[in-house]
Amino acid sequence: MMEIVEILHFITISMVTAASSVAVGIGEGFVGLSAIRAINIQPEAKDEIQKTAVLGMALVETAAILCVTISFIILFGTQDADKNLYFALSELGIAIGLSLSGFAIGLVSAMPARSACLAIARQPFFGNKIIRFMLIAQAMIQTPVIFSFIIAIFIKSYAVSATTIAESLKLIASGLAIGLGSIGPAIGLGIFGKTACNSIGINRKSYGKIFTFTLISEGIIETPIIFAFLVSFLIILYQASTLLIAIAMLSAAFCVGLGTFGPGIGLGKIAAAACHQIAKDPEKYSMLSKVSILAQSIASTAAIYALIVAMLLITFTK
Amino acid sequence: MGGLELLKEPRWNPLSRFGLTHSFFNIDYMTVIQTWIVLLVIILLLIPIYFILKRKPGLVHFMITSFVNYFVRLSNQSLGRFIFKHFAFVTSLFIVILMCNLISIIPGLEEPTKNINTTLAFGLASFFYIQYYSIKAHGLWEYTKEYFRPIPIMLPLNIVGKIANVLSISFRLFGNIFGGVIIGSIWFQAIGGSVIFETVGILTGINITLLGFFGLFEGLLQAFVFMMLTVTYLSIELQSEKPQEAGEAT
Repeated sequence: MMEIVEILHFITISMVTAASSVAVGIGEGFVGLSAIRAINIQPEAKDEIQKTAVLGMALVETAAILCVTISFIILFGTQDADKNLYFALSELGIAIGLSLSGFAIGLVSAMPARSACLAIARQPFFGNKIIRFMLIAQAMIQTPVIFSFIIAIFIKSYAVSATTIAESLKLIASGLAIGLGSIGPAIGLGIFGKTACNSIGINRKSYGKIFTFTLISEGIIETPIIFAFLVSFLIILYQASTLLIAIAMLSAAFCVGLGTFGPGIGLGKIAAAACHQIAKDPEKYSMLSKVSILAQSIASTAAIYALIVAMLLITFTK
Repeated sequence: MGGLELLKEPRWNPLSRFGLTHSFFNIDYMTVIQTWIVLLVIILLLIPIYFILKRKPGLVHFMITSFVNYFVRLSNQSLGRFIFKHFAFVTSLFIVILMCNLISIIPGLEEPTKNINTTLAFGLASFFYIQYYSIKAHGLWEYTKEYFRPIPIMLPLNIVGKIANVLSISFRLFGNIFGGVIIGSIWFQAIGGSVIFETVGILTGINITLLGFFGLFEGLLQAFVFMMLTVTYLSIELQSEKPQEAGEAT
């Protein structure tokens, strides 16, 4: 019995770090590749491109750093007296939630940095603004992993008091909701960030317009993640007194996790297409941004349905 | 370990003697006091700005006017034309949220925005403002009809869609600020025990980087995003199928 507890405990610790490190490693590799390509195209802008690549990699690493922090907290912040089967099972929630979102974010947050390197190769005299833009685009992409981090801390504090299998399942469901829910929007954010950095490379006169458009769009693309965060928060706050409620919470987690997958990617693609058009024709900014935001609000309706069903499942199951 | 202790705030329940003990009636008085301090700081900043603007132009004068001009341009771009009321609302929303996010650089104070109630209040304020001007622009009848589109069955979904906007806008601000606070507190708890670690933290610049990224940068970014989303929702609500109608009403 004790062996299973220890195995689950250490699997959690290793999985969180391993999943995020793999993704961050791959992402940073691609950033380096793009930087070398960009230097090949425009050797004069070597310093600027190097600076972009290093700063971009530093921000890509945020996901891995947060996951390592959680690993350390679990490793050193657990007393031997607390360890039992329910505690170890609850910790699997942290493993699922953080490793899924850390994996997605590690891969995805490298995409803006890649296209920013190539954009500087096109516009060598515009490097500083492209770097600033890339930093903001990447900082917004980190939101899902910050949310997963918060949920992981909550699961860690509640795991000590889990005494039944239902409560452990509840905490696993909470991790699952934020983990699955952050994959789709993360991909959407990545697609959009890539296109936005690319668009500035195409037309640097549209910088101001693309800047505001990026802030609005990334805010809207993030909406499904916030729904997933809300659901996992609710799951943590509600009591799971019977196994049936815990199963309902698991299905709520699957509902919101898979339900935000499509809308996340779709929102990213809508915003990316609009951003590309703005770069080509900045005069039509107000029309394009309005159409894009309307389309986004219609596309995010699907995520809202998932949210409603998940919340009904949590609150009305007796 | 972190997390829960941060959510537990000292509460004051003034109505408990009347039997109203539900948590809805509690007041997180520390958050309220911190918000008042933020407002006090803003007022204290405004007094010298008033006198600087009265004197002849200088560097500070230029900085203030270019700050204001930036927001005028921004609201023009989103709303189509300059409307002073909307400009004043979104700019003051931005300044208050920014100050709330940045107030923790004063020792001993904490961000009021790390409490969900504060961000929900900001979200509700922007929501009701937008709905009020939407009713004013389209009239109550047209406004109500919007909820029954495209088919009447959509009524509950339309209402939920509006509420989801409030939730998403306030949880975005709360989650980011709260995450930054948790990360900072965990880091300072970890290095707090020994002098060596604290020195390493200060010398390598990790302390500054953490505070700068999660405190200042995220605070600025999230305040800006909150403001931009408010302006965008406002411009969507104000526009109608017939553009000239909206122009007259506002």
